Amino acid sequence: MTFLEVARKDLMLYVRDARFLATLGLFSAALVLILSVAFGPIFRDPAHEAAATIWAALFFAGVLGLSRSQDLEGEAGASDALRLTGADPFAIYLGKTLANVLLLAAVFLILLPLTSVFFDVGSLPALPTLLCVGGLALVGYSGWGTLFAALARGLQARELLLSVLLFPSLVPLWIGAVKLTHALWDGGTIEPVRDWIKVMVVMDVLGLALAAWLYESIQEAAE
Amino acid sequence: MILRADAVRKRFDDRTVLAGASLTLSPGDVVFLSGANGSGKTTFARILATLLPPDDGEVLLDDEPVGEHRRAARRAIGFATHQPLLYPGLTPAENLEFFGRLAGIAGAAATASALLERFGLSAFAHAPLATFSRGMLQRVVLSRALLNNPRVLILDEPYAGLDTEGVSALNAIIGECRARGAATLLIGHDRDRAAGVTTRAARLERGRIEAA
Repeated sequence: MTFLEVARKDLMLYVRDARFLATLGLFSAALVLILSVAFGPIFRDPAHEAAATIWAALFFAGVLGLSRSQDLEGEAGASDALRLTGADPFAIYLGKTLANVLLLAAVFLILLPLTSVFFDVGSLPALPTLLCVGGLALVGYSGWGTLFAALARGLQARELLLSVLLFPSLVPLWIGAVKLTHALWDGGTIEPVRDWIKVMVVMDVLGLALAAWLYESIQEAAE
Repeated sequence: MILRADAVRKRFDDRTVLAGASLTLSPGDVVFLSGANGSGKTTFARILATLLPPDDGEVLLDDEPVGEHRRAARRAIGFATHQPLLYPGLTPAENLEFFGRLAGIAGAAATASALLERFGLSAFAHAPLATFSRGMLQRVVLSRALLNNPRVLILDEPYAGLDTEGVSALNAIIGECRARGAATLLIGHDRDRAAGVTTRAARLERGRIEAA
């Protein structure tokens, strides 16, 4: 399975890059800590502030992860070797997306207890639903992000371009993630805002469909 | 005929690099292509390998335009160039097995292991690529290009960094490729190192290919 091979390779390279992992982990944890100090010590709406904080931290950590994901292909011309294998470009895209989802899921799992402790929010019964919300958000983010990162690869201002492309495209996905997380941490249920689930699913499907259509052209035009 | 480049043209900004370059590679051919620095040899090699589209002209593999059957063409071509086209964070064995599996090669691990042994790198198969010397890296680069048992082998500066043993190993492999009917294009400056294996020579000048 091509996409599993690509995901395995990317994860192996992430795990071996201790400097990248340390930067990613410390950056996102520091962001949560700084915002908890900024909002605290007496929180007006801890569920709201915590939800905004964790998703802001994940957004910026994601930009780092997505840039690194494309750097792996740029180093030593490995992207050309990938093309030369004749592998299905969409399978390559799926593999890179899967690796990014798993990387960001690891960051999410580190930030979740940190945010719960610093903002004093969360409950165990709400955890499974929260993990599902996280999964939906990270699949959409990685799906769109991997596509945009491929588009920005090779440009000097790629981080800037990546953020500029990602932010407006992912506003609905990120609002949904914040609203659902807030509802879960505030009342333990997503019922009042459950329609955002549909928005997030549509965003996820749209990102993957766009990649199925465009990724090969982007990969070939990267020259 | 296996591979034919027909009046290939390529420009970068205002500079014309290829101005109607044509070359035919037939089964068993080992062609040595030379040319001055900046004459467009690498650009031509990348166009033949389907990594770069020509502005005009076409490249045919078995009489089919490679642009229309890109993925199939790539599985028939082995390509090595100045850049390693490897992941520095993986070992040689991991690199070759990964690219082999993606190319759909049955027994990718065994093929990778055999190639590394052929180039005298068995003892370093699981060593970090970042610790390799230029010559050792070149042997891995060549192993990757040979992974898919290519019908067309395009090697840009293949002897760079290789010691005498490496040159002998490479020339022996090129000889085997020739014997099984594969076509090989060697690009470089030092024709002496390929003297025993080449069947003809050509030169890229002013964007065109002429017999040398």
